Amino acid sequence: MIYVENLKKEFKKVIKDPGLKGSIKALFHPKKEIITAVDDISFHVPKGEILGFIGPNGAGKSTVIKMLTGILTPTSGECRINGKIPQNDRQNYVKEIGVVFGQRTQLWWDLPLTETYSVLKEIYEVEESAFKKRMAFLNEVLELDDFIKSPVRTLSLGQRMRADIAASLLHSPKVLFLDEPTIGLDVVVKDNIRNAITKINAEENTTVILTTHDISDIELLCKRIVMIDKGKNVFDGDLHELKTKYGQMRELTFETDTRDVKNVLSYKEHFGFADDDFSIEADGSLVKIRFNSAVVPVSEMLSYTLQKISVKDMSVKEADIEEIIRRLYKQGV
Amino acid sequence: MRKKFKIYKPFINAGLQEATTYRANWIFFMLGNILGCFVSYFIWNAVFISSGGENLNGFTMPQMVVYIFLMFLTTSLISSGGTYDIGEEIRDGSIAMRMIKPISYNATFLFQEIGNKIMTICVLIIPMVIGVEICRTVFMGSVQFNIAGFLLYIVSCVFAYLINFFFNICFGFIAFIIKYLWGANMMKNCIVGFLSGSVIPLSFLPDILERIFLFLPFASLNYTPVMIYMGMYSGLELLFYMGLQLFWVMAFWGLSKLLWHIATKRLCVQGG
Repeated sequence: MIYVENLKKEFKKVIKDPGLKGSIKALFHPKKEIITAVDDISFHVPKGEILGFIGPNGAGKSTVIKMLTGILTPTSGECRINGKIPQNDRQNYVKEIGVVFGQRTQLWWDLPLTETYSVLKEIYEVEESAFKKRMAFLNEVLELDDFIKSPVRTLSLGQRMRADIAASLLHSPKVLFLDEPTIGLDVVVKDNIRNAITKINAEENTTVILTTHDISDIELLCKRIVMIDKGKNVFDGDLHELKTKYGQMRELTFETDTRDVKNVLSYKEHFGFADDDFSIEADGSLVKIRFNSAVVPVSEMLSYTLQKISVKDMSVKEADIEEIIRRLYKQGV
Repeated sequence: MRKKFKIYKPFINAGLQEATTYRANWIFFMLGNILGCFVSYFIWNAVFISSGGENLNGFTMPQMVVYIFLMFLTTSLISSGGTYDIGEEIRDGSIAMRMIKPISYNATFLFQEIGNKIMTICVLIIPMVIGVEICRTVFMGSVQFNIAGFLLYIVSCVFAYLINFFFNICFGFIAFIIKYLWGANMMKNCIVGFLSGSVIPLSFLPDILERIFLFLPFASLNYTPVMIYMGMYSGLELLFYMGLQLFWVMAFWGLSKLLWHIATKRLCVQGG
């Protein structure tokens, strides 16, 4: 369905020295530097899959999405979607895809929402009966009825995002690209949008590529994730695999009367933890320890702790996906 | 063809609706232009009085008045904001939103602007033409209105608009390279204003310059339609200048296609 092979994108960037002097210098003698935003990325998405595409800010996620949607031309490499190369025949290619950029809108700013939909209906040549059916469906899933007659500029962010997602789905696309569709939204709207994505995916077998910073989006929607950092592919596999591979982190929390716990308990020296495998935070009587259970088993950590100090309350938690990703981002794998 | 038109028709509607949303803006814009018109009227009046002659480079004062107001009407009819719009879309990156739709980038601008223009055409053309005709009738002592001339003027305006539109699109694509167009646009407006005869009639210029300028695309923008309306061209001359207009339409249309092709290859979308 979607094949991405060795995709690469370079940008030229003018480097400016700090201050006014630097600005003037850059005006006459621009120093140029080539920045590789996307560096040799390959992945493959089968039909009907929801792929979570994650990475820290500036990792190159949006650039990849822009190449997949035909907006940018790759410096080298190739992407092929439904057997088509987006850049070759843009107008035909985009008929089969739906795109939402969370930070932008494709709606007509000054016109009522319904007008945007009727413009889209003509653009995508949707039949009247199919259009009505589709609108009824989208209304039901995304609850557009309350604001469908208001001008877009008067909509709240949550309303606008729902409207944008509806706009991208109007022509029943085979592939849906969502670039941060839940950015800045409250929990209710997020739920609403997630439900819509799940429903569309289940009913029409739509392939979805989703970028997000919201870990619950990924846990609720995606079976598989691709993680990139600094333009490079750092992880490609299913969520479960990620958890077993990197999910050995445990969180040990306990309450104690002992003062100055950090000095009394010298886990690091005792067990010989590497920097990445261990961290400790003490806040009054509450102590929080994160450690890698592949290096030191949980039982040993517990017995060592109990030997040294008296503990009032204690709990051990499995690291959640957020923790795993934080670790991955930090070390860049 | 009909199917194509059906796709782009909503853009005309949307353009019209946008224009009506910001009525006050439109009214002030027009008022500003009309004031500018009167300023040039008084300047030319002073010029004619101080020169002491009846006739300046083939223009009498009444003809000058007609010229000024026709120039205003023509400029309003053929104006095109393509440069500014494209520049803005490139600057804030919203050009991406147009590129994810299965439509031609240029055509959406064209039809949206035509929709935007409908209001200008409806509100401006009838009172301006009546005003100009009253002036001419009073000055000349008889009715000067010529329906064939008027229709040719309209056709010439359509050509002029298309030249202006595609020229502005081409110019707007410069934003792909320099990223922000405001300064370049100001410069372009100044130069085009001079070369197109909207500041002073081209016949006021030295003979050699006038001849060169008449062949440039800018004279085809304002000067040619106004000259046609005023009945300054006839027969072969008329045919030649309208043919020249058509040539420039095709040339800039082709150039805009080519530039679009090149620009998309090196496009970088700003902001997220």
